[in-house]
Amino acid sequence: MSERKTVVIDLEETEKAAIGELSGLKSAEARGILSVNNVSDRSRIWNVRVLLEESAGGTSFSEDTLSAGEIDAGAKWETDYKVDIRKPILTLTERFDTCGTVPTDKPHWAYVYGKENPVKITIKVKNETDGQLDNIVLNKTIPPELTMMNVESTSSGATEFDEGTRTIIWKDFVVYPREESTLVISATGNVEDTDSRSAGEIVVTYRGEDQQRSGLTPDMTALTEFLTGIETAETEPNQWECILECSNESDLMVRLDKAEVYLTPEDDGEKQKMIDDAPRMEMFPNQEWSSKFEIGSKSPPKCNQEVVYTPMRVIAKRVLGTIEKTPQKLPVARIDYTKEFDPPEVGSFDKTPVEVTIEVKNVGSARLNSFTVEDSLPDDVMPPKPEHVTAWVKGREYSGELEVAIDPEDQNPEVPHKMTFKILNLKDSVGEVEPGETVKINYAIMAWRNRPEKEYPSPICCEAHTYPEGLAAESASAEDGHKIGILYKKRSISTKKGINKGSDPGQFMVVLVIENKGEVTVENVEVTDWIPAGFEYVSTDPVEEAPMEKPVDDGTNLVWSWARMNPGDKKRINVGVQAGEDAGEYERREPQVTSD
Amino acid sequence: MLKIAYFGKTSFALETKETTVLLNPGTWDGESAVPDDFDCRVIIVTNHEDDALGNAAEIAVNSKAWILGNESTIERARERGAKAWLLHTLKPEVPYEIPGLKVTPFSLQKRSVETGENIENLGLHIEMSTMKVSYLGDSLVRGPFGHLETNVMIVPVGGEHAFPVKDAVSLCIDALPQVGIPVRWTSEDQPKKFAKYIEQFGQKTTPLLMEPGQTLEVQWAAGHEFRHSVSSESPEPE
Repeated sequence: MSERKTVVIDLEETEKAAIGELSGLKSAEARGILSVNNVSDRSRIWNVRVLLEESAGGTSFSEDTLSAGEIDAGAKWETDYKVDIRKPILTLTERFDTCGTVPTDKPHWAYVYGKENPVKITIKVKNETDGQLDNIVLNKTIPPELTMMNVESTSSGATEFDEGTRTIIWKDFVVYPREESTLVISATGNVEDTDSRSAGEIVVTYRGEDQQRSGLTPDMTALTEFLTGIETAETEPNQWECILECSNESDLMVRLDKAEVYLTPEDDGEKQKMIDDAPRMEMFPNQEWSSKFEIGSKSPPKCNQEVVYTPMRVIAKRVLGTIEKTPQKLPVARIDYTKEFDPPEVGSFDKTPVEVTIEVKNVGSARLNSFTVEDSLPDDVMPPKPEHVTAWVKGREYSGELEVAIDPEDQNPEVPHKMTFKILNLKDSVGEVEPGETVKINYAIMAWRNRPEKEYPSPICCEAHTYPEGLAAESASAEDGHKIGILYKKRSISTKKGINKGSDPGQFMVVLVIENKGEVTVENVEVTDWIPAGFEYVSTDPVEEAPMEKPVDDGTNLVWSWARMNPGDKKRINVGVQAGEDAGEYERREPQVTSD
Repeated sequence: MLKIAYFGKTSFALETKETTVLLNPGTWDGESAVPDDFDCRVIIVTNHEDDALGNAAEIAVNSKAWILGNESTIERARERGAKAWLLHTLKPEVPYEIPGLKVTPFSLQKRSVETGENIENLGLHIEMSTMKVSYLGDSLVRGPFGHLETNVMIVPVGGEHAFPVKDAVSLCIDALPQVGIPVRWTSEDQPKKFAKYIEQFGQKTTPLLMEPGQTLEVQWAAGHEFRHSVSSESPEPE
C-alpha cells in the first residue's frame, strides 16, 4: 500500500497579551494563518476551495468559502486572519513583595530607603485550557538593586540565571490542563535614593499544540490527478455491461464522494440514473474503484458520468502565545523629620512652657499610611496630658484617631517620660500621605526648674509604614539628640545683718534682711543665724516668721526655712534677743544661707 | 459673693455688698478704660504710669473715693487734682484695712512704658468677702505671690513691660489659684496660650479669658466649695 499523503490545512494562531504592573490584563489579541499545504511530491491540486461554513464567526473572515486556486506539489497557499479573544489561554501573575518575611494578603509594594528589603517574587503561570501547554519559556528581568538572589522553589521545570542580561530563565516544563506552575525567587533589595524602581519585566512564550483560539472548522474541496471513465462492453447480443471506473492517479489520498452514471435512452427519452453511489471511499494513490450495470440496447448505450472526489485533508492547529508583563514600579518609602522647641532654650531654675513641634515629612516616593513617633522627654520636664496633643495631616488639623501614650502615665516632672504618638490607617480617613506631604504633632511641655550644669536630651524616633505594613521607614535622632537649651541665670541671695540695742537694758534687736537678688527663683532656702551663749531668743517680728531654735555648744542657732524665694523676694526679720546676767558683748557672726 | 468686673486691659472693679474697689483705671492710647463717673469707694493703683493711674483722679473726685498707691503714684495723683485727703500711700507688706477690705501690697517691679527702666509696681493681695485675689496687673516679677493663698489670680501675659506668658503660667502653677485671669496681652495668641498651658499644667486652676464688660462672680458654696460663673453684665457702680 502506498504512503498515505493528505493535504494539510494548517491553523497556526498566535496570541499576544500584555498585562499591567499588578498582573491585570491590559490587552489581548490573536491572529491566525490558515494555510493549505500540498504535501504531494508530484501532484498538483487545483480548484482548491476552503470551506469555513459557519465557523468563521469571531474571525476577520467575511466569506464562508475561500478560494485557494491551484497549489503545486510541495507548495502551500495561505491567508491570515484576526481572531477576537478576551484573554490568553495562559494566565501569568507576579507577586513582587518587597517584604516577603511579613506575611500579608496583599504584597508590599515599596522599598524602604536604606534597609535590606527581603524581596520575594512569586510568579505563576496557569493553563486555562483543557489541553496541555508546552514549550514554555519565561524570562524575568532581575533589577540591579536586587542582590543575594536565590530561586527558592519551582513547581516544575528548570531555571538558569543569565548574568549578562540579569535574567532568570524558567523553562523545560509543561502545564497540564487547568493547572499552574509556580516559581519563587528571593532576593535582598537595597535602595539608596528615593527614585521609583522597576521590578523587572516578564516575557513568557508558550505553545498549545492542537489548540486554537478561533472556532474555525475548515474543510476543503479540490481536484487532482484522477481518472474516470465508462467502459461499455457487449456481453451478449444487444446486452451491454457498463462499468464506471475511477483511478487515483495522484500520490495523495483522495476521497471519492459521489459516483453517478446516467444512461441516455436510444429514443432520446429521459435520462436514467444507472449508478448512484456515495462511497466516501478513501483511495490510496493508484487505487481504483469501479461500479457497473447491465442493460439491453441495440446500439452501444450512451452514458454520462458525474463523479465527485477531493484530495483528502487533515487539519493541524496550534496556538503560539506571548505575554509581556509591564514592570511594576516600586516607589521608595523614606521619611525625614524636624523637631523644634519654642522657645529653644529656657531659663535655668525656671518653669517655662515649651512648645514642641515635630514634623515628619514624606521625602520618598511612596504613599504612607501610618506614622509612629516616639519622643523621649528627660526629667525636669512636665509632659502634657494626652488630650492636649494636636496633630495635622497634610496641612490640616487631624480629627481622626490619634493614639497618645505617655509612660509613665503622669505629669511628674521628676522622672523621664516616653511619649508615643500613633496615627494609623490614614487610607481610611484622610487618605495616605503623599510624597512631599507631612504629619505634624504639637504639644507643650513645662520645663521644670532645669539645672544649668545638666543636659536634657530629648531623642526621637519616627517611623512610617506603607499599607500593608512591612519594614518601617525610619528617621531618628542620636540618643542624646535634641537637647533642651538651658539658659543659665544667676542665683544670688543677699543677707544683711544689723545688731541694734533695744530700748530695755540687755535687750538687742537683730535685724536680718534676706533678699533674692538673682534672676531666678531659689527653693528650700535655709537661713541660720547664731545667738551667742548667754543670750536668749525672745521674739520675731513679723511673728509668722518665728524660727526654729537649735541649741549648739556655744549658743543657739535660729533657723528659718522657706520653700522658695522668687527674684525680688525680700524678707526683713527683726529678732528680739535678751542678754543674761553675764552675757557680755553680743558677738557678731554672719548668717549662713543655703538653698537648692 | 465677690463680683469681679472687667473693663479691659488691666482694669477691674471688685465688688461686694460692703464695698467696691477699682483697680488700675488706666488710660490706653488716650482712652480711659473706666468712665470718669464710675462710683466706687477705693481706687488702688499699682504704679504711677498712665496705663495704671489713668483717670483715677477724676473718678476719685467724682465718687469721693480713696486712691491708694505707692509714693510716686500718690504724688502723681495729687498732681492730677486728686484731693489730698483722699490719698493714701501704701507701704510694702503693710496691710491696709477697712470694713470689707484688706489689701496687702508687695513691692514688685514693672518696666516703665515711659522710660524703659524698671520702676516699682505694687502687687496686691486683696481679701474681700472671704475671697483672696492676687492682682499683678502690671508686674514684671512675682514676689511672694507664688506661695500666697489665692483664689483668683490676675496676671499679665503680654511680656515686654510685664510678665510674659511663661511667667504667668509658672506663677499660677505655683500659687494654685482656682481661677487664673490673663490681662495685658499684646497679641491674641498670648491669652490663648496662657489658657492652654494652664489647662495642661495648672493642676487646680481654671483659666478664664474675660472680655471687657464681663463680670466674674466667685463664691463659696456650702462654705468650702469654690464656685465661679461669668456674666456679661456691665460693671455696676456701688
